[in-house]
Parts: sequence; C-alpha cells; structure tokens
Amino acid sequence: MNHGGKKIFYSIVLLLWAFLAALPFLGFSYGVVWVFLLVVYFTLALSYDIVGGYLGYMNLGHSTFFGLGAYTTAILLNQGFNLFSALLGALLLAAAFATVISYPLFRLRGAYFALATFGLISLIEVLTTNLRDLTGGSGGISTPPGDHTLASYYLVLAVAGVTMVLSRVVARSKFGLALFSIREDEEVAKAFGVPTTLYKGLALIISSVPASVVGGIYVWNMTYISPESVFGLEIALSPIIMAMLGGTGIMIGPLVGAVFITLVQEFLWTEVPYFHLAMYGTVLVLLGLFMPGGLVRTRWLKPVVQWLGLGEAVDYFENADAERIS
Amino acid sequence: MSTDFIQLVVGGILLGGIYGLAAFGLSITFGVLNVLNLAHGEFLMLGSLLSYGLFVGLSINPFISAILVIPVFMVLGVGFYLLLLKPIMDKPPHQLLVASILVTLGASLFIEDVTSFFWERPVTGISYSLPPIELACVVISSTRLLILLFIFALACAMQLYLKNTFVGKSIRAIVQGREGAKVVGIPISRVSALAFSIGMALAASAGAFYVTLFTVTPVMGIPLTIKYLCVVVLGGLGSIVGSVFGGLILGVAETLTAYYCGAEWSPTIAFILLILILIIKPEGLFGAKK
Repeated sequence: MNHGGKKIFYSIVLLLWAFLAALPFLGFSYGVVWVFLLVVYFTLALSYDIVGGYLGYMNLGHSTFFGLGAYTTAILLNQGFNLFSALLGALLLAAAFATVISYPLFRLRGAYFALATFGLISLIEVLTTNLRDLTGGSGGISTPPGDHTLASYYLVLAVAGVTMVLSRVVARSKFGLALFSIREDEEVAKAFGVPTTLYKGLALIISSVPASVVGGIYVWNMTYISPESVFGLEIALSPIIMAMLGGTGIMIGPLVGAVFITLVQEFLWTEVPYFHLAMYGTVLVLLGLFMPGGLVRTRWLKPVVQWLGLGEAVDYFENADAERIS
Repeated sequence: MSTDFIQLVVGGILLGGIYGLAAFGLSITFGVLNVLNLAHGEFLMLGSLLSYGLFVGLSINPFISAILVIPVFMVLGVGFYLLLLKPIMDKPPHQLLVASILVTLGASLFIEDVTSFFWERPVTGISYSLPPIELACVVISSTRLLILLFIFALACAMQLYLKNTFVGKSIRAIVQGREGAKVVGIPISRVSALAFSIGMALAASAGAFYVTLFTVTPVMGIPLTIKYLCVVVLGGLGSIVGSVFGGLILGVAETLTAYYCGAEWSPTIAFILLILILIIKPEGLFGAKK
C-alpha cells in the first residue's frame, strides 16, 4: 500500500504531539487548561471507538468508566496512596466492573445495548450519590490540594499517546480482526469459531482502561468532582460525538472529530451561552441524517484518508449489511 | 406488616399501569420501524406539560386531556417520522442502527434543552384527586384506580384495533416480517408513520396521567426512556402483553424498594431488574425464543 502517505500521517501526529508538549513553554496558560480537557475527551473518544467502532456496539455509557476511575482515584488519594497506585487501583476497579457488566449487557444488541449502557451511567451516579460515607454523596469529593496543572497535562498527553498505540495494535492484531468480523456479522463470526462472548468482554475491558486512567488524572488535576461533573451528559456525549463525527472504526476518526468539535466549541459555545445541549442534539441529528459514516468517509476527506494509507477501515461502511437489530 | 405489603403491591400495580402504557408505545414503534426511539420519554414529558397546561389554564380534567393529547401527538408523530426517520429508513441495518440512535438521541437532547429553557420551574403535579376507596383494610387511591381502568380500556382498544382492522393487521404483519409485508403490498412507509404516531400518542397519553402523580421536569425524558426500555426487555421484545406486565412488575418493584430500602434507591431497581432478566431469561418474560 501507500507507505509514503502513512509516514506522512505518523509525522503529522508526532508533530502535533510535539507542539502540544511544547505548548506550556509558549506562554498559553489558558491553552494548557483547554487542551487538557480536549485531550481527555479525545482519549475517551479513542477508547470508546474500540467497542463502538471496532466491535460495532454503541456503548453510550463509556463515561461510566471515566467516573469510576475519577472516584476511585479520589478516594485512594484521600487514603494517602500516591498517584500511581491510585491510578492503578482505578484501572483495576474499572476493568473488574467492565468484566462483571459485560456478561449481561452483551446479551443485548443494537439500540438496546446502546440504551442500556446509557442507563448504566445513571445507575452508577445514583450509587455514588447514595453511598455518602465513601463518596461524599451529592456534595462531591475533594482530593489533597496542589497545583498539578502541568504534571497532569503531560500525564494525559502520555496516556493519549499510549491509547493511540493501543488502538493501532488492537486494530492490527488477530483479535482486532475478530472484533471487525463480529461487527460485520456476529452469527457468521461465531460460526467461524470466533469466541464472541469472550472477545466482546475483552474489548470492553480494554476500552475501560484508558477511560478510567484519564478519569483519575482528571480528578488529580481538578482536585474536586461531584457526581454531576463526571457522570453528566456533557462528558458522556462529547467523546462519542467526536468519534461519530470524525468516523468510527478508524483511528483518525476521533482525531478529526476532536479537532472539529474543538473548533465548533471555541467559535459557538463561547458566543452563545444557552442551548449547548440543543446544539449537540442538532449535530447528532444532522450526523445521523446525512453522514452516519463520519467526516472521514465523506467525499472530500475520504481520498485524503486513503492517500494517508489508512483506507482499509474507511470502506466498510458502504458494504456493511450485517443484521444488527435482531 | 402484611397489610403494608398488600397496600404497597396495590399501589405499585396502579403505578405500573402508566409504565405499561408508555412502554407499549415504545414497543410498537420498535416492532414496526426496527428503530428504538430514544426520544420516547421526551414525548411523555411534553404530554405531561400539555396536560398540566390544560389543567391550569382551562381547568380540563386530566382524563379528558389524556384523550385530547392523542390527536395532537399523532400529528406531531407523523411530522417527526417524515422529517427525521423516513430519510434514514432505507439504509442497510447497521447504518440504520447508528443513524437512528444519533437522530433520536439528538432530537431528545434538543427537545430537553429547548423545553428546559422555556420551562425553568419543575411542574409539581396536578392537584387532582378523588376520595380514596377503602377495601378490606387496603386503601386504594380511586384516582389511580380510574387511571388503571382507563389504561386497561385503552390497551384493550389497541389490541382489538391491531387484531381486527386492516391497518392493525398490516402493522402486525410488518412486526412479523418486513420483507414479507412489502411483498404482499403493504405500504410500509405509511403504516410506519401511523405506528410511530400511535406510539408517540400513547407516550403522551401516559404523560397526561404521569403529571397527576409525579413532579415533571424537562430533564426527565432520557431516564424515563431507559426505564421503559427496562420494561420492554423485561416483558419481552415485541410483546404487547409483555410490556404491560413488565410495567406492572416494575411499578410494584419500585414501590417496594422505596418503602423497604429508602426512596433514593428506587431509581436503581429498574436497571437491576434488567440485568437480572438478561441473566436469567434474556428473551424476556413473554418473549418468543429466537
């Protein structure tokens, strides 16, 4: 295939990363806070895509892992653990949670799976609100104070980089191929000997890990969270909209989506104080009506993506005829 | 203790009627269009607000508004279908799934945000009640009993309509097999529009009753849709009887949870029931085994 294009793509990504890493030294203090959030969303979008794009199951409840990671980290930090063991704890808890829920939830397909996972967020939100002794209830929880803006910025950049590599490795592996086959036709995949239940569970666990770690870094930076701030609609939907807007099932999708949403936010959000949710809603409706394949699959961007040597995942949307809603 | 228990179960059944009615609407939409309407709860919320407005503004009895909202929301439903769903119906299944989730979720967020902009205060129910009935040491709210009877009559009428009329039969034919229905010449698009508008009208009608019992807020739509999803899965996908029974079960379960564990835990029970039924009997209580 086109190896020159692929090299260019990797160079662009590396340059972007280098630029973001240099950002604090260029004197954009507002930019650092802003890019931190953007990278958090981007990482969530990318890890969502492992289940939502590669496997083809729309996990609207992806932010559950983010919230769980944030709360676990906050509680462990308050217990006197250092950051890395707290993040490890968050990661393990989220992975364990993913393991437990994957069994019942993956019995649902299509829209039912999407809605049930969406319901999972409110279930965990109710749990965190009610378990007052552990989580501080609806008043939220604070972590030991300190200015971690710069450290958490680099940490989240590193995690995003690792997630990109992880996403690429999964897409390239035999396991990733099995996930694609489940997306195309689960029954056929099963007939060909793909252990579908196991692989669906594994995909959910893998996607839960970056989300929970990012949640931990988020609370370390913010030093305060409430159930609303980590289980709210904004954090639940932004990453998914980024992934869908860019294009699911392909790594460049969330990247394009993240850049696009950021530009929209910068020009629209700050100008109009109301109707943010309604604008998200309109974006979703327009996406659904006109380009469910995302920006990278539109007539204008598709040739570019193919030239960059990432074309293999672009084409699937045209010939997808898998029966999803059974 | 046992009197309490019976009292709670009766209360739960009366509450479950409303859940059943709305879930029935969700189920019929899904059966015909193969689209899970994530904006279903929003229509219930709008139906509640309309019924509240009619009660406060024109002092119209909620039972009458429950009928009045039906034609209004059927028209809205046809509009919603033509504008947002018809353009995506011909896509292949996987694209239809993604597109339908995006469109209905987007519409749901849009309705929620716009409504909460214009309606800042939550509506604290309609103060409409009739004297309670006391029956062998169990007190029954006669308002709720009437609501349940009304819903039962509506469900029976729906069932008769689906069983006996030509249009009703074509709706069921599409549920059973879309391709086959197309082959025998059923106008899929028109029947789908009708089925969608019926589903929406049932949600709005349930909403008219909902406001007599609960506080209505613009943000309640999505949580309610999730609750009705639980009811539909509990009863069995595509089963109309199932969704009514699922509603009754959830109503009783919620009332019991609120009494024995505290009201703050009752939102969790729907999801716990969903998980349980998925582990024990994934096709639902009344669902056909695939």
